Amino acid sequence: MGRTNFLGEFEELILTVVLILNDDAYGNTIVSAIKEHQNREVNLSSVHITLYRLEEKGFLQSDMGGATQARGGRRKRYFRITNAGKALLQEMKDARTSLWELTPQLKFSHE
Amino acid sequence: MNNQRPPGLFIWFFQWYCRKNLQEFILGDLEEQFEQDVEDFGATKARRRFAWNVIRFFRPGIVRPIFGSIKLNNTGMFKNMMTLAWRNALRQKQFTLINLFGLTLGIAACLMISLYVYDELNYDKFHTKADRIYRVNQPSIWGDWDEMIASTGPNVATALREEVPEFEEVTRVMQIGSLVVTPDQKQTIFKEDRIFGAEDNFFKLFGFTLLHGNAQTAFSQPNSIVLTEETASRYFGDDAVMADLVNQTVEIKEWDGKWKSFKIVGILKNIPEQSHLQFDMLASMSSYQDQMDMNGWKWIWNIFGTYVLVKPNVDVAQLEKRIQGLPAKWAAPTTERIFNQTVEEFTKGHPWTLELQSLGTVYSDGSPADHGLGPTGNPLFIKIFTAIGVLVLLLSAINFMNLSTARSTGRAKEVGVRKVLGSARTILVNQFILESIMYVALASLLGIGLVFLSVDWFNMLTFKEMDLVDLLSQPTVILAILAFILIVGGLAGFYPAMVISAFKPVQALKGHSGHAIGGKWVRNGLVVFQFTVSIALIICAAFVQKQLKYVSNLDLGMDKENVLQIHNIEQFGFETEQLKSQLESIPAFTKVGKSFGLPPNILSGDRYMAAEVNSEVVQMNNVRLEGDYLDLLHVEFVEGRNYDSSRPADKYKVIINESAVKVLGWSDEAEIVGKKIALASGDEDEFEVIGVVKDFNIHSAKSNISPLVMINHKNDQVWDYGAGLSFFSLKLNESRVQSSALLMEVIQQVEEVLASADATVPFEYSFMDQEFERAFLFEQRMGVVLSVFTALALVIGCLGLFGLAAFAADRRVKELGIRKVLGASITELWVSFSSEFSSLLIVAVLIAGPLSWYCVDQWLANFAYRTTIDWWVFAVAIIGAFMVAIATITYQSLKVAYKNPVNSLRDE
Repeated sequence: MGRTNFLGEFEELILTVVLILNDDAYGNTIVSAIKEHQNREVNLSSVHITLYRLEEKGFLQSDMGGATQARGGRRKRYFRITNAGKALLQEMKDARTSLWELTPQLKFSHE
Repeated sequence: MNNQRPPGLFIWFFQWYCRKNLQEFILGDLEEQFEQDVEDFGATKARRRFAWNVIRFFRPGIVRPIFGSIKLNNTGMFKNMMTLAWRNALRQKQFTLINLFGLTLGIAACLMISLYVYDELNYDKFHTKADRIYRVNQPSIWGDWDEMIASTGPNVATALREEVPEFEEVTRVMQIGSLVVTPDQKQTIFKEDRIFGAEDNFFKLFGFTLLHGNAQTAFSQPNSIVLTEETASRYFGDDAVMADLVNQTVEIKEWDGKWKSFKIVGILKNIPEQSHLQFDMLASMSSYQDQMDMNGWKWIWNIFGTYVLVKPNVDVAQLEKRIQGLPAKWAAPTTERIFNQTVEEFTKGHPWTLELQSLGTVYSDGSPADHGLGPTGNPLFIKIFTAIGVLVLLLSAINFMNLSTARSTGRAKEVGVRKVLGSARTILVNQFILESIMYVALASLLGIGLVFLSVDWFNMLTFKEMDLVDLLSQPTVILAILAFILIVGGLAGFYPAMVISAFKPVQALKGHSGHAIGGKWVRNGLVVFQFTVSIALIICAAFVQKQLKYVSNLDLGMDKENVLQIHNIEQFGFETEQLKSQLESIPAFTKVGKSFGLPPNILSGDRYMAAEVNSEVVQMNNVRLEGDYLDLLHVEFVEGRNYDSSRPADKYKVIINESAVKVLGWSDEAEIVGKKIALASGDEDEFEVIGVVKDFNIHSAKSNISPLVMINHKNDQVWDYGAGLSFFSLKLNESRVQSSALLMEVIQQVEEVLASADATVPFEYSFMDQEFERAFLFEQRMGVVLSVFTALALVIGCLGLFGLAAFAADRRVKELGIRKVLGASITELWVSFSSEFSSLLIVAVLIAGPLSWYCVDQWLANFAYRTTIDWWVFAVAIIGAFMVAIATITYQSLKVAYKNPVNSLRDE
C-alpha cells in the first residue's frame, strides 16, 4: 500500500459516511450523520479540511448545487465517492478482515 | 425558519481571511449549522458556536495567502527585490558589515543627540498653563545695563498687579536658603540650600503636583511649609506615611540664629527634572511679612523671580510694550530715597525695561544666565551638539552612498539582465531605494540597541535622567523614527539608485561596466567632505582640550592650591576669634583666614566713587575679609600694606585692587595710599585706602578681573555688617598632608573643633582649586563629548575609506599585476595605490585647516583668557588623521601588492 493509498482513521470515517449519504453528502449532513451513527461530535472545519484532502487524493469528487432559501441562499458543495475511493474502502475492509482472521479465536464459554 | 442572523462581525472576519473559492459553501454550511443550533440551543448559544466555528476555520488550507489569492505583479516583484537584497548582502559580507557598522554608529550618535536636544527643549512643559506663563526680566541694574537678569525687586510684582488687568495672576518666588532645618527638635540637622518662598497664588500658576494638602490654601497662613516627597522621606524616613506628615512641624534656624516653627501643609510630588525651578521645600512668603513690609516697596533687593499668568487670547507683544512705562513711575521712590537720584540719573539714561519671557524658553534660551532658582540651559551646547549629530549622520550616510555606488560594478550584470528582460528604470530605482531603506531600518534597530547600552554613560556625562524606554513608547517618537528611516534611506539610496539604474544593458553585459560607473567626481567629493569634517573636528577637539588645560594652569594672581574652605561660619555668630585660634592650633595648617566670600564666587558689589569732587560713580565688587586671608592667598601688594590686627584704626580702612584704581580714575603714578572712597548712595562715610594689591581672579578665568574693594571684616559702617555668609580658609601644610587618609584625618579634626563649639551647625567644606575647576565643568563635559564624537566621525570616515580602497584594489588588480610583472617593487605599488587617496586627503586638509581655525577662533572669543592658536596643533591633528587614513589604505594596497600576478592576470 503506497503513501497516497493510506487513509487515517478520520479520513476513513468521512469517506465511509460520504458513501452512506450517497447523493446528499455535504458538510452539515456529514457532521450530523457522524453524530447520529457514531455518537461523536466532530467540528465542521475538520470535516471540511478532510473532505478537501480526500478530493485532492482522488477519492472524492465534488460539485456545487442546491441553492435554497435556507443558509442565506448559498449553494452547497456536494461530495461523491469515486471508484478509487470505493475500491480503497473495500481494500481496507478486506485487509482488516484478513488480519482479524489471524487472531486467536476468542471463545466465549457459557458453561 | 426564524429571523436570527449569525453575528456580522464574524461573517466579515471569515470573508476577510477565507480563500475566495471556498467562501460560498463553507459560509453556507456555517449558516445552516447556525440555523440548526438556534433551534437546538437558542439564539445566544448559537451565536457563540458560530463565532467559535469561524475561529476554528482559521487554519491552513482555508486562510488565503498573505499576498492575496490574486497575485499582483508588483508584490511578486517586491518579494523578489527583498530576496535579491538579501543575496547581495550575503555575497559581499565585508561591505555589508562595513556599511551596517558605519550606519549604525551614525544613527546611534544622531539618536543620542536627538534625545539630548529633545530633553533640553522640553523644559517646563509639564505646567498645564505653561503657554500662558511668562517670567519678568529686567536689566542688570548693578552692572551692565545692556544685560538682562531674571531677578527682580519685590515691588515689580506689586506694580504689575496694580496696573495690568491682563495678568490673571502675578506671583513671586524667592530664594530663602541656605538655612538649617530640623524635623525633630534638633535631634537631626539638615542643611538646606533650596528653600523657596512662595505666595498664596503659587499653585494657580505653576502645575507642580500637590499629593497631600490643599493647593488653594497652602500658603495663605504664615509659617506654612510644603515639602517635596524626597525631602519628606529624608526627614521622616522612607516608610513614613506622607498623608500623616501634614500638620506636623519642622523648625528652621533663621539668619539671626533663632529657630522658627513651620507647619507642614502639603507634600509635593518630586520636582520633575525638566523644571527650571528646583527646590526642596516651599515656605509661605507671609512668614517673612516683617521683611516684606520693610522692603516691599523697593525696586532693588533683587532676589525675586516674578512670574505672570496672562489671560487667554492676550497679545503678549503688545502687552510687553505697555508695561515699559512702569519702572519709571514705580521705581522712583527707590532711587530717590535710597540713592538720592532720579530714575534717569540712576539708570544713566539706559532704559529700565521689563521683558516677558515665555516659560517654555526660560530654560532653553540660556539667558538671563543665572536666575538662582534652578538650572539654565546652554543654547551654544545645543547648537554644537545638533551640528555634530547632523554631521556624523551625514558622514555615515555618505559612506553608505559611496560604498553602494562603488560596489555597483558587481551588480552591472544583474541590472543588464533585468533591463533586457524589460525592467523599467523606475522599477530598478525602486529596487535600490528599497534596499537602502532596509539597510537603514536594520541599522536603526542596531543603533537603538547601542543607545540603549550607552544611555547611562551619556546621562552621567550630561547630568540628565533620560529614559529611552519611556521615550520609545511614545507614538510620536516611533513615527519620527519611521519617518527618519524612510527619509535617510530614501536620500542615501537615491544617488546610487540613479547611478546603477543608468547602466546601458549592452555595455553592462559585455563586461564594460567599468565605464558605466559614473560619478567618480561625486564619490571623491564625498570622501573629501568626510575627511574635511573629521580633520576639522579633531582640530577643534584638540583646541578645546588645550584651552581647558590653559585655564586650569593659568596664573590667577594668587595661590589657590591646598586651601581648605569651611562653610557656614556665620552660624557661629560674628565673633569667631576663639574658633580661629583653635583651628590655628592644628599643626596641619600654616594659616587661617576669615572672609565673607570665596573666589571664584565673589558676587556682592556696590556703587562707589572716589571721595573727590566730580568723581564718577562706578560699580565694584566688594568682599569683607581679614588680613590673614590675603596673606593666605599670597596676594601681592603693589603699594601700601595689608591689615594689621594690632592697629584698631584699620577697621575702617580699605584695600583695593589695580583694576579698582583704574576705574576710580586715579592715575597710576600718583600715590594711591591715603586716598578715600565712598559709597555712591550719598552716605557720609569715607574709607581710606591703605593698600593696593595686584589683580587676582575673584571670578573664574572666563571673565576679566573686576575692580574689587576689600573691606575689613570688622567694619561696622557698611550696611550689611553682621549679615552674609562667612568662611574660614585654611592653608594646608603640604609636607604634613601627603595622603588622602591624612587629609581626611585633618578634616575630621576641623569638624571636631567646630562641633565642640556648636553641634547644630552643619559641617561643609570645599577646596579652592576644585571650585575654580568647577567653573569649567560645562567646558570639560563639552570637551569629552566632542572627543567622543570626533572619534566616531574618524572611525566612520575610515570605514568609508577602507571600503573604497577595497574596491579600488579590486578594480586595479590587473594594472598592479602588470606593474609587478614589469618589475615594480612592493613599495612602488604601495605608493602608486596610495597616491590616489592621498591627493583627496590633501584637499580635505586644505579645506579643514582654515575652517577649524575659524571655529576655534569664534569659540575662544567667549573667554577672557585664551590659549594661543598654535600651528603645531594643526600639524599634529593633520598628521594624525593622515596616518590613520594611510594605515587604512595600506592594508588594502599591500593585499593587492602581495598577490601573485599570475592569479590576477591569467583569465581575461
